[in-house]
Amino acid sequence: MASSHTGTGASGLARLRAAVPFSNRDWGLLLVIPGVILFSSFMLYPIVYLFYISLTDATFAGSVIGGGADLIGLDNYVQLLSDSQFWTSMTTTWLFVAVSLVIKVFLAVGIALLLNHARVFGKRYMRAAVIVPLGFPGIFTITVWRGMFSDARFGVFNTILGRYNGVMSSLSAPEILLFDVPIGFLSGRWEAFFAYVTTEVWLAYPFMVIIIVSALQDVPRELHEAAMVDGAGFLERFRTVTLPAIRRPVLFASILTGATAFQQFLIPWVFNQGGPARQNELIIVYGYREAISFNEFGLSAAILIVAIAVIGLFMYAAVRYGGLAEGVGDE
Amino acid sequence: MSALQSALALISAKLIAFVTAPKRFVVSLRRTVYDLRTGRRTPWDVSKSVLMTLFGLAMVLLLLFPLFWIFTASLAEGTRLFNTSGIFPDPSTYNLGAYRWVVFESDFFFVDGDWGYPQLVLGGGSGLVSFRWVGTETGPGALFNSLYLVSVTIVAGFAMIVPAAYAFSRRSFVGRKRILYGYVLFTQIGAGLSIATLVALYSLFSSYGLTNNLFILGLFYAAGAIPFNTWLLKTYMDNIPISYEEAAMVDGASFLDTIREIIIPLTKPGLAVVLIFVWLAGWNEFIIAQTLLSPENYPLSVELYNLATEGRFSTPWTRFAAFANLFALPVAIVYFAAQRSVEDGLSFGGMEG
Repeated sequence: MASSHTGTGASGLARLRAAVPFSNRDWGLLLVIPGVILFSSFMLYPIVYLFYISLTDATFAGSVIGGGADLIGLDNYVQLLSDSQFWTSMTTTWLFVAVSLVIKVFLAVGIALLLNHARVFGKRYMRAAVIVPLGFPGIFTITVWRGMFSDARFGVFNTILGRYNGVMSSLSAPEILLFDVPIGFLSGRWEAFFAYVTTEVWLAYPFMVIIIVSALQDVPRELHEAAMVDGAGFLERFRTVTLPAIRRPVLFASILTGATAFQQFLIPWVFNQGGPARQNELIIVYGYREAISFNEFGLSAAILIVAIAVIGLFMYAAVRYGGLAEGVGDE
Repeated sequence: MSALQSALALISAKLIAFVTAPKRFVVSLRRTVYDLRTGRRTPWDVSKSVLMTLFGLAMVLLLLFPLFWIFTASLAEGTRLFNTSGIFPDPSTYNLGAYRWVVFESDFFFVDGDWGYPQLVLGGGSGLVSFRWVGTETGPGALFNSLYLVSVTIVAGFAMIVPAAYAFSRRSFVGRKRILYGYVLFTQIGAGLSIATLVALYSLFSSYGLTNNLFILGLFYAAGAIPFNTWLLKTYMDNIPISYEEAAMVDGASFLDTIREIIIPLTKPGLAVVLIFVWLAGWNEFIIAQTLLSPENYPLSVELYNLATEGRFSTPWTRFAAFANLFALPVAIVYFAAQRSVEDGLSFGGMEG
């Protein structure tokens, strides 16, 4: 039966070979092409089109479609560079990326070391539990965090701070250690920024923990034992055994979570739409609002093109330094 | 089908491991007691381990606090959640009122919770056999929009991803390296990039008259899922020794036989992971769905967002929590059942060196 299959398959192939121009060994391309076309038409084409919009004076979707927009060259980009809101947004975004990244790395390395420690019992279950945030939709977890950061006197964090104040003043601690509750977490600039960073760290640490734990598990036990025999303390062992093993994975995960932090849209949007007074508009929120709230499609497209260029740099760095593309050359 | 089956097998294996966990705990507890009695371990040694474990537990509880909080909140319908000084609602007031609201009043299953059932109609509508909803005046709700959207995403995604992954793994052809490199560049983009192109997408979709079209939106999510999942599945297939196929060929197997008997069975875990990731791509996204769709076509994710932002200062927390739990829990369960494979999928790509 199998041989009859081969027979018809071979003659069919022969006919196909005669019909198509490229050589026989290239037929694998046919399997790949549909995906490339679908991906290009929904992802690459809009980026090109976005670049076109950024060169026009379009003000709303209708003017783009109806042909009411004129090409004005790079005017939008020039306007952007002189817009103070753009620089506020850029600075805030990079600050957000940097601060959250530092906290993420320390937190994730700490968690990974603890959950890989020989003395911790049931660490497999703890590892499963600790990455739970990854399994929930972003819109769900981010809204929950907004609820916890509520400005209300009885919001979760304000309640916790109130209790803390109660304990501290019963210990007659100095005033400076007390908090002025209720804190308006979402109505002050730096309070809101702090809330963004906390949420971003919570969303991103599971991914880092997964990658660091899998790197730690590849470190041979003998290496640790040998270092112990040589009398190396905990810090010494961390520096000479653990750190070299996790350095590259941490770098890789930093680039990737840094890129997601740079594109963060949901946190500022759900929390307070980049407020108060547009001070915390991360770059994507800034571009989105210029189009949706202020009808500046051309300017918005220019902002988003700048953002996409930066994201492209992140992706290039990830592929270059993360060794992601190592498998590309294999047959 | 095979991807679904292996996903189910993964879930059942996880459940068995979870149910038998207490027994393993008791065994190791007994062993510790025995070690202490016979003097193999000192009390100090044991207490160090206990302290470290407690520390780990405390950390886990702290990190999962938000999820625990929202779960208890979903049980507190009718109580004044934000108006008392407690963080958690009073356990004596726990009730399922919020879930009742989701099932019988919200748009989750049927619009306004007006339940109906499907009925086959012979010769009606466009085809030979069609079906309609009976017993509901308002029609099916957001869940069915979500399921339709996700079905389109999964079918289109699998049709594009699986053959391409095979070709990348087993064939050499013109432009292979270049396309693969392009895919790898795009593997790690988040939702941010599609939001960045939203302005262009909206204009394009409007000018082609494609807004408010669930089918097109499903294709869009599939397109976004292609690079990452193709690359993921390719690395899975790379791990199948090519000698298996060569041996089968020598035994007279045809090309299609090798696909059916070797490639598909051995990539099942990879297919399960791809199924989960493609599903999540369609299930979770909401900002583009909200921009492109009209209210009658909103999937669950958009309904959830609208529930969260109904009033700026008055999110109906208990109802939001119940809605969100029903929305997220099935996905979370499947996700953690296949956790091992998902972890492998996330840390793929030469992380060893």
